[in-house]
Amino acid sequence: MKALTIAWKDTITRLRDWRAIVGFIVAPLAISAVIGLAFGGTFRAETAIQDIKLVIVNLDSGELGQVYSTVLTSDDLVDLFLITEMDDYEAALELVETGETRGVVYIPEDFSDELFANVSATDGSYNPVSVEVTTDPASSISPFIITSVVDQISVSINTLLLSGQVGVEQVLAYAAQLGPELAELANIVPGVIEQAATDPGANQLGLDVVQVGEAQQDISPFSYFAPSMAIFFLMFSMTDGARSILQEETRGTLPRLITTPTPFAEIILGKIGGTFLTGIIQFIVLVLASSLLFGLNWGPSPLALALLVLATVSASTGLGALISSITPTEAQAGIVGSSVTMVFAALGGNFALASALPDYLQIPSRLTINRWSLDGFVKLANDGRGLEGVLPEIGVLFVMAVVFFVLSVVLFQRRFVR
Amino acid sequence: MTEAILQAQGLHKKFDEVYAVKGVSFDIKAGEIFSLLGPNGAGKTTTISMLSCLLTPTEGDAKVDGFSVTGEANQVKQAIGVVPQEIALYPTISAKENLQFWGRMYGLRGKHLQERVDATLDIAGLADRADGKVETFSGGMKRRINIAVGLLHNPKILFMDEPTVGIDPQSRRRILDTVQELNKLGLAVLNTTHYMEEAQELSDRIGIIDNGELIATGTLDELIKMVGEYDTVRLCLDVDGQKIEDVIEPLKSLPEVKQVSPGEDCVMIQVPDSENILGDMVGRVTQAGAHIRSLEIQEPNLEAVFLHLTGRALRD
Repeated sequence: MKALTIAWKDTITRLRDWRAIVGFIVAPLAISAVIGLAFGGTFRAETAIQDIKLVIVNLDSGELGQVYSTVLTSDDLVDLFLITEMDDYEAALELVETGETRGVVYIPEDFSDELFANVSATDGSYNPVSVEVTTDPASSISPFIITSVVDQISVSINTLLLSGQVGVEQVLAYAAQLGPELAELANIVPGVIEQAATDPGANQLGLDVVQVGEAQQDISPFSYFAPSMAIFFLMFSMTDGARSILQEETRGTLPRLITTPTPFAEIILGKIGGTFLTGIIQFIVLVLASSLLFGLNWGPSPLALALLVLATVSASTGLGALISSITPTEAQAGIVGSSVTMVFAALGGNFALASALPDYLQIPSRLTINRWSLDGFVKLANDGRGLEGVLPEIGVLFVMAVVFFVLSVVLFQRRFVR
Repeated sequence: MTEAILQAQGLHKKFDEVYAVKGVSFDIKAGEIFSLLGPNGAGKTTTISMLSCLLTPTEGDAKVDGFSVTGEANQVKQAIGVVPQEIALYPTISAKENLQFWGRMYGLRGKHLQERVDATLDIAGLADRADGKVETFSGGMKRRINIAVGLLHNPKILFMDEPTVGIDPQSRRRILDTVQELNKLGLAVLNTTHYMEEAQELSDRIGIIDNGELIATGTLDELIKMVGEYDTVRLCLDVDGQKIEDVIEPLKSLPEVKQVSPGEDCVMIQVPDSENILGDMVGRVTQAGAHIRSLEIQEPNLEAVFLHLTGRALRD
């Protein structure tokens, strides 16, 4: 198949160019390593454990609900939380959605009455009572802080109620002592969570803290930036590779190819195939190097990883081909390609978590190859998800690839077959 | 009678609203060298591009080895070898790798491919530089590899678009000799050029093309007969363009002068017997206030033919 001959020629030509090797393989590896080392073990930006924006929606007409507000706004926690009190639970949730706050603590109506009713029950029966905590899934550590603090308050209330100190004054006084302890939570979160989960007294009155929505695990910077930089530089090399079609036009080799007994679609397929092969090699080298040199685990499923790499490279190659097919000159293709790469990288999360982008950028972000690909790699490498977990990402990327390929072949055909 | 390997019939090519080629018809017999001679922009490359199936004719058709360029492009492409005006090679890979790649594009494989690569390297005289990267070659060497690519699959006819543009005389000589040697082996050649001497030396027949139209076709002798017994006097003056205009009318007023064509600082004058009228011409030019820098009398040649047919010098 002549397309393979063209693809292989292009791949060999590109791999012999040491500048391309530096640009497409060494640079992303080096940058992700530097970023990984700079951040240390996980994303632990100081802003994540200070001034955590938190909304309290306390609809409880009794006094126990007030305990949460009192503790959370106490002087001891003033550095940890920036508290806003609201009455509209839906509006508060909206703030989490838009990233304007990191969490919402919701105390329902009749919270106190139902808890006191449980205490008063003589037959030992009780109705479950919940404080709902909703956190921003895009945040790394603040969900644990919020949940742990609320958990601890709930455990304390439980303890006091069980000990018979059911008077509000006593509860508030005890709660005030919680402040210094809770302020230390940022440093002892895992332990607190474990303790709260295993404390036999915690749920004896049916008071529970319900985590609403999905909390995200910590993200290892290297497991984030290795694929991130790989995608970023892949986009560059794919737009650059596809630009070689225009370079061949300028050099006269494309017209010469057309005068050989080779169908035009096969020529374009070969050219795109060469770029695709280069991208695959680039990604494989990065995966191997980051695993061997830095011990990065790319997830439990090699099949999922392979499919995600294939999908990402296919979509990027298709995009590069599309850009080349609509730009008149090689130079213009370079400018447009670089611009698209930078915009996609910014929107898609190559420089910072895309989920932290404001709401109005979430839809544009979802239109980028980078976002889908990076989400997939983070799910694999960071969350330990398997093939099933990244099928949506793989599917979307392949759909993008098909659309870009078809469009670019049609446009190239119109352009060169006159 | 030798069978035609190429028959072009009424070829037209329109880009937007402008016709680059207007009704070009000619044929090339097997084993013949046919040159399309014309200035830059005359339509030579557009014509050869249509015959190479690179451009689709707006009107008309051509048959190469019996196959239509509009309907049987794949068979046509098997029969032709194309040597474009540009050095259409990959500079960062070796000459041998280039030839291997292009050979595969023509469907050659394995031992046969290797034999053809070696053979064409010999033809190009670059067997000893086979492993050298093309980007390290001189302009002439690149041109020779460019031609070798067109010969890889043993085509029946070779299309060469300005094969000697921009190279040194020694390389040019080598290329022309190579073409003649290949022709002796039976290869038909369609050559486009704006070098009169090249067309004159190389061609069995010549087609003169101007403004997209083929205005004359024939052997060199047949074309020169069109001019008749006219000499061409080339007068170069020490004046600017405005003064050139001043000498045109006085020269045209001489009854023996058939045609006067101004250039940048020279005037081409066609006269039946230049020796008898030379004095009068010099007198008219001097009277017009111009100073003669050089004067040359040319025997009838392709340039004179072109001048005769178009009223313009080929080098313009």
